[in-house]
Amino acid sequence: MLEYILKRTAGAIISLFVVITLIFVLLRLMPMEGYFGAEYDKLSEEVRASMLAEKGLDQPIYVQLFNFYKSLFQGDLGKSWIYRPNYPIVKILEKKIPYSLKIGVISMIFSLIVGIPLGAVMARFKGKFADKLGTAFIAIVEALPTAVLMLFLQLFFSSWFNLSLLFDKNNYATWVLPIFSISLLSICSYAMWMRRYMIDNINMDYVKLARAKGVSGSRIMFRHVFKNAFVPMAQFLPGSVLSTIIGSIYIEHLYSIPGTGSLLIDVIQLQDNTMVQALVLIYAAIGIAGMFLGDVLMALIDPRISFVKKGDDR
Amino acid sequence: MENYLQNKEVILSVKDLSVRFSLRGKSLHAIRGVSLDVYKGESLAIVGESGSGKSVLTKNFIGLLDKNGTIDKGEILFEGMDLAKFKTEREWAKIRGKKIAMVMQDPMTSLNPLKTIGWQISEALILNRGMNHAQAKAETLNILKDVGISEPERRYKQYPHEFSGGMRQRVVIAIAVACSPEILICDEPTTALDVTIQAQILSLIKDLCRKYGMTTIYITHDLGVVANVADRIAVMYAGDIVEVGTSEEVFFDPKHPYTWALMSSLPQLGEKGHELYSIKGTPPKLFGVIRGDAFAPRNPQALKIDYMVRPPYFEISPTHKARTWLLDPRAPKIDPPECLKRLKELENIESGDMDE
Repeated sequence: MLEYILKRTAGAIISLFVVITLIFVLLRLMPMEGYFGAEYDKLSEEVRASMLAEKGLDQPIYVQLFNFYKSLFQGDLGKSWIYRPNYPIVKILEKKIPYSLKIGVISMIFSLIVGIPLGAVMARFKGKFADKLGTAFIAIVEALPTAVLMLFLQLFFSSWFNLSLLFDKNNYATWVLPIFSISLLSICSYAMWMRRYMIDNINMDYVKLARAKGVSGSRIMFRHVFKNAFVPMAQFLPGSVLSTIIGSIYIEHLYSIPGTGSLLIDVIQLQDNTMVQALVLIYAAIGIAGMFLGDVLMALIDPRISFVKKGDDR
Repeated sequence: MENYLQNKEVILSVKDLSVRFSLRGKSLHAIRGVSLDVYKGESLAIVGESGSGKSVLTKNFIGLLDKNGTIDKGEILFEGMDLAKFKTEREWAKIRGKKIAMVMQDPMTSLNPLKTIGWQISEALILNRGMNHAQAKAETLNILKDVGISEPERRYKQYPHEFSGGMRQRVVIAIAVACSPEILICDEPTTALDVTIQAQILSLIKDLCRKYGMTTIYITHDLGVVANVADRIAVMYAGDIVEVGTSEEVFFDPKHPYTWALMSSLPQLGEKGHELYSIKGTPPKLFGVIRGDAFAPRNPQALKIDYMVRPPYFEISPTHKARTWLLDPRAPKIDPPECLKRLKELENIESGDMDE
């Protein structure tokens, strides 16, 4: 197990390195006007050279890359160029990440607690009223365009329950709607997959044997089927959870939450290269960590996934 | 074989059972009025080709009929209860595992892949025999030893994927035995195993049944299996039992043309250089109403009446009866195929290893 985790960690670090290097090099290939404005061509040689030197762009790419990694290992993501000129990126993110993180973690816990049992209950009463109701709910949420659904949620729920339209970090009542909106989609997707995997498992031979040996219906569901159905879920769950945490671009925009959600789009439009680098690094790290955790979680649940050499135990 | 019935008490009695499935709006008549007595302590084999209804019949005994199937007529009497009337899971909970247990066909998929085999056997003990965890563990280790699994202490903690097919079937048998049922239904217990393992598993089941005093019902299409283990044989065709008798009666004095055809297709009876006998045609569709003898269209020597009236059971001996007009005194005399006589010769040659 440890060997497996170490191997996967090494793999994850290599992937991360490749992603960052690629992004770094690609960004350096963009036209210079982007960084210095339309006037760049009209400036004199000396001014241009000093501007490049100031940002360290006068050196060959491999030197720049090396310097970038060097400061990265010291925990320095560099300084923003345009978004907030010469302001340390770490400081910018420090203020924004906590909002996305808090809202993300709460909605993640909420959607897991509601979504997984909802799917399990639907599978248990397949074809009955509870299942039909749940399926209708999921179908409506999945079928409606997210933008429309979220806008309706914001408008109607805020007027029905007399909640504020916009987010205010000091007023916890305003946290409810964004969290509920983010959770809604995850709840539906968790419930849908859980139901599906449980129903797949209900038709398996081991369930028939369990019934034949006298195990009751609900015990079969909870002690036999649930864990088996959770195995395929285990792989994508951490990734999905992490992507919830980094924030929903649309929801943060809708409720004016000062989180990281819309930051990436802003800085790409501004061609703030160092910010793009930093954010891509974070997103890639989270994505890779999600897959890694998914594999580890699945391995922990399923004894068939073994990382030691197969013994001659047969 | 009249002495067969001596001191035998009926443990399970099926009376005129009829089962229908609804399939895409059509009704399929899978069991067409089956009557069968199972005697305590015996080993009964139900043979027949795929789709003859042998599995469906026994699934009724344990309440595991697929959801689209219903019993529309008949009784299954067991310990004073009529299992055919059972509707709820609560009623079945008294029977399943505790009284009637089942060994499934495919050991590769019948165990929960995420639970240790010790857990899975213990579960049966805890649920059916009210043991606590420590008792269940001790008993599980005993049962593992009983079914021929060495190093039970180590095996207890292992998962199904760490076992080979034959070993998994031993675990499945261990689960069935753990319930200490009155009746053990073995649904093609060796079909998914390779030939070298089959004999081991069969003799294991045989030994365990003797040891625990269980009545066994084998479902199989393999007459070789039957010859090894069965006291009595019921031959099923198109949802009906066409012939039933003791092993000797059915093997050496078969009366129904379908039984003849089935026996003739035994590879052991084939002659070198001749093509192996096979039954022409396909079994009848069970969607419609079958008139007369269901086997008639595939029987080259069928009588006219076979197409018109369903034959009743004719009794040949107290234990042997067959549903064929050939046994009517007015019927023309038709002899069983010549090759069946060779069964007797085979028996004489192999009598030693036929039994053990």
